[in-house]
Amino acid sequence: MTSVFIAVVSLALFWMAAFTLWWQMHAWRTPEVLASTRFSRPDGGEHVSFSLLLPARHEQAVLDHTIQRLLESTHTDFEIIVIVGHDDPETSEVAERAAARDPRVRVVVDTHEKKNKPKAMNTALPHCRGDVVGVFDAEDQVHPELLAHVDHAFRTTGADVVQGGVQLINFHSSWYSLRNCLEYFFWFRSRLHLHAQKGFIPLGGNTVFVRTDVLRGADGWDPDCLAEDCDLGVRLSSVGKKVVVAYDSDMVTKEETPGSLMSLLKQRTRWNQGFLQVYRKKDWRQLPTFGQRLLARYTLTTPFLQAFTGLIIPLNVAIALFLDVPVGIAFITFLPAVTALVTFVFEVVGLHDFGKQYGLRVRFVHYVKLIVGGPFYQVLLAGAAVRAVWREQRGRNDWELTTHVGAHLTSAEATRDLREDVPA
Amino acid sequence: MTSTLPAVTTPKVPAQRQPAPEARSTSRTTPPKRLRSSRPDLILCGVLLVAILTVQGWNIADYPTLSDDEGTYLAQAWAVQEGRGLAHYTYWYDHPPLGWIQIALLTWIPAALSPESMTVGTMRAAMLVISAVSAVLVYVLGRRLSLPRWAAGLGMVLFGLSPLSVVLQREIFLDNLAVMWTLLAFALAASPSRHLWHHFGAGIAAATAVLTKETMLFVLPAVLITMWRHSHRDTRKFAVTGAVTACALIGLSYPLFALLKGELFPGSGHVSLWDGIRYQMTRPGSGFILDQGSGSHGVLQSWLYYDRVLIVGGLAGALLLLVTWRWSVTARALAGPSCTVVVLALVAMRPSGYLPAMYVIQALPFLALVLAGGTASVAHAVLRRRRSEAENRYVTGGRYALAAVLAIAAGAYVVPRWYDGARTAVTTDANAPYQAASKWLATEVEDPRGTRVLVDDALWLDLVHAGYRPGLGVIWFYKADLDPAVTKTMPGGWRDLDYVVASPTVRRDAVDLPNVRAAMEHSTPVAVFGSGADRIEIRQIQAASGGVR
Repeated sequence: MTSVFIAVVSLALFWMAAFTLWWQMHAWRTPEVLASTRFSRPDGGEHVSFSLLLPARHEQAVLDHTIQRLLESTHTDFEIIVIVGHDDPETSEVAERAAARDPRVRVVVDTHEKKNKPKAMNTALPHCRGDVVGVFDAEDQVHPELLAHVDHAFRTTGADVVQGGVQLINFHSSWYSLRNCLEYFFWFRSRLHLHAQKGFIPLGGNTVFVRTDVLRGADGWDPDCLAEDCDLGVRLSSVGKKVVVAYDSDMVTKEETPGSLMSLLKQRTRWNQGFLQVYRKKDWRQLPTFGQRLLARYTLTTPFLQAFTGLIIPLNVAIALFLDVPVGIAFITFLPAVTALVTFVFEVVGLHDFGKQYGLRVRFVHYVKLIVGGPFYQVLLAGAAVRAVWREQRGRNDWELTTHVGAHLTSAEATRDLREDVPA
Repeated sequence: MTSTLPAVTTPKVPAQRQPAPEARSTSRTTPPKRLRSSRPDLILCGVLLVAILTVQGWNIADYPTLSDDEGTYLAQAWAVQEGRGLAHYTYWYDHPPLGWIQIALLTWIPAALSPESMTVGTMRAAMLVISAVSAVLVYVLGRRLSLPRWAAGLGMVLFGLSPLSVVLQREIFLDNLAVMWTLLAFALAASPSRHLWHHFGAGIAAATAVLTKETMLFVLPAVLITMWRHSHRDTRKFAVTGAVTACALIGLSYPLFALLKGELFPGSGHVSLWDGIRYQMTRPGSGFILDQGSGSHGVLQSWLYYDRVLIVGGLAGALLLLVTWRWSVTARALAGPSCTVVVLALVAMRPSGYLPAMYVIQALPFLALVLAGGTASVAHAVLRRRRSEAENRYVTGGRYALAAVLAIAAGAYVVPRWYDGARTAVTTDANAPYQAASKWLATEVEDPRGTRVLVDDALWLDLVHAGYRPGLGVIWFYKADLDPAVTKTMPGGWRDLDYVVASPTVRRDAVDLPNVRAAMEHSTPVAVFGSGADRIEIRQIQAASGGVR
């Protein structure tokens, strides 16, 4: 009886781990798939105009540089709309100065009492003049040729949404930033493309471009959702809008990981809670095929399944080793662990590829950190998942991070805490 | 917030298909993308398959002579089916058990329908399935390695119809199963779609091959070479790492199995993987293969007796391909098989190694492919090399004439020999003595259940079906001396036995087995089947006083 139970649990875990691995490796399935994940080369024509939203909050330190960099874009038809809060004079000042220097920059003031990113962007949406609305964060490093590539992608694919790559870069900062970077790498490099292909996609928080009419038709972003980006993607793909994902290592938007373990935990909690909210909104039920709905269900509950598997797998192996179960059953209990091991190996290879793609030197110690840090990161993810469920249960769905911006944080930490760099 | 967007009917976004950038490092001619939908390939492969199965299947039970090893593997498969463990006696890690577990699965349904059919002669039919799959895989691999259709077909014929193949592939040997898995590994490694999970599957197949027959370890580097050549630069690191990981993880399941059973390391009162490996590594060598009079030389002669074409031609083909590596596309495409042949040849040349007769089985498909590839290379050189549009008609005619002469000469040499081989295989009845002995023991002995008899494994299952007690009633003769669980039931040595079935194997090995030798010495033949060295005697033990026990 125990044996049967263990076998069933093990097989379920195995299938979960195997599917996740299968999807994680999507981009590298064949050379053709890998080639198709890139932007195709622009042909020089420019027919799409852009309105680039740049929500900024207490980010006076980095905002100006970001605006300057965006203005260097090779594309000729775009406007930048900086969204600042009415209670944030420092950032407003930086934005106004930039607007005075260049007519392509405009400032929109968000006067909501409780502020969050979706509200800010919804405030700016009526002011957008371009055919396409793009979203960036205040500290993003955007490649000058990105807009030209996105323009080309819109024209050649007939897409309603184009999601560009976002990549955390500072893998050497700490053990968790290494794993965090690699998570982004696998997500944007590989997994998102599978979602685009299957017609169900949780969008990323920035470097995302949506046709203005489509966005307005969808009533913009959900101001009450903690993962408004994910929600938008789910709503748009649920009604059959075409989403195209493209990832080029020299065209990605580069970002940095949260500055401390605690802020990573909070960010992840918000992300998970957002996923949970999107799941409960049930927009994904409109997806036409059973497979898509299953993928939606699975993707939106992944953080919780992940937390669960991370704790069960070691327990399972321990049972196999120390309890007296038949050898056949013991073998089955090893299946999820073996799959996890394969995932580990692919992560090591992924780290190598990451280093190659970005010209970064990955040292031996980083590989060691990656492997040793794996279980701890799993604990962190599990913690964030539990925390998200707990907060959702108690009805605490405020933007946790904004409430923590206070005197006890240095301005750099505050900036980091505010960044919305959640990839889904 | 609910969406107000109208639903559209085409939600599924097709992947953007873009051609992969061609890597310059792996220049090769492109194989057909989908063999399954290529009618000429299907027809050719199908026709050859029917021919191969006819020659291999006809008279399969009666030729070649039943061997003790076949009986052992089948008896172990029977033990698996019956839930008696991994072997009919104590499993002692002599080989990984996956091979006969597969045989058990393969024979499960017929054995369930008719338990008496679980005997060596009958169950050889199951090997036809393996032969068929392997032959098709040889063709597929040949095509995937860019051989022209006719050359892939030639490889399949060489592999399936060589008299050496016909003899060895009919027998229930683990090597035949391992060859199938190895071929699958090669075919997946050379997958034209260069799919990550195909390469991963190649790793799993390769590990399965090794766990089926451990000597396949030698072939792994060649699988890796093939995979390296066929993977794309951009995805190679994922593909190759994945395959190696898969192979290692599956391979490690064997030591893990031993660990779970507490039999990884030696200890008193139990067998261990460690001891099993040590036994295999320290088996007395059979001498240098080219040394006249050595055991290995005898084995080589026995192979050459059945077929020189495949062995000599295959080795020559491998050398030809290695020498022409720089100029010949075919040579580079066939790097995997030619490396396999060379590695296996070098391993066979170890002066101190033990060379079993079935060793050649794992080389057969690669000898065949390499010979076919060499032939294709020669054909290309004769027909196409330095040929220009403006070539003189007579020169072109001369090329075709030369090709025709070569083909006819090769045919004239090979066909009569192979015809003889095939005729022997489909007409000879080599197992009449075994069948007669089996029948005698089933009908002439009054109380099978209370009778103890030493046999070789070729007859073991026959006697089990005839009512003898498996294990201690019908005793695999080696165990009477080597298995403590059996010897402790015969405190009187030969006196506790009733019969010895003296087959050639028993007579050969009795020399080193005191109990068996004593039983032979204290017994007299009561029935003899066949004559000469191949005869089978049923010998009844005589009590010390001279009477029958």
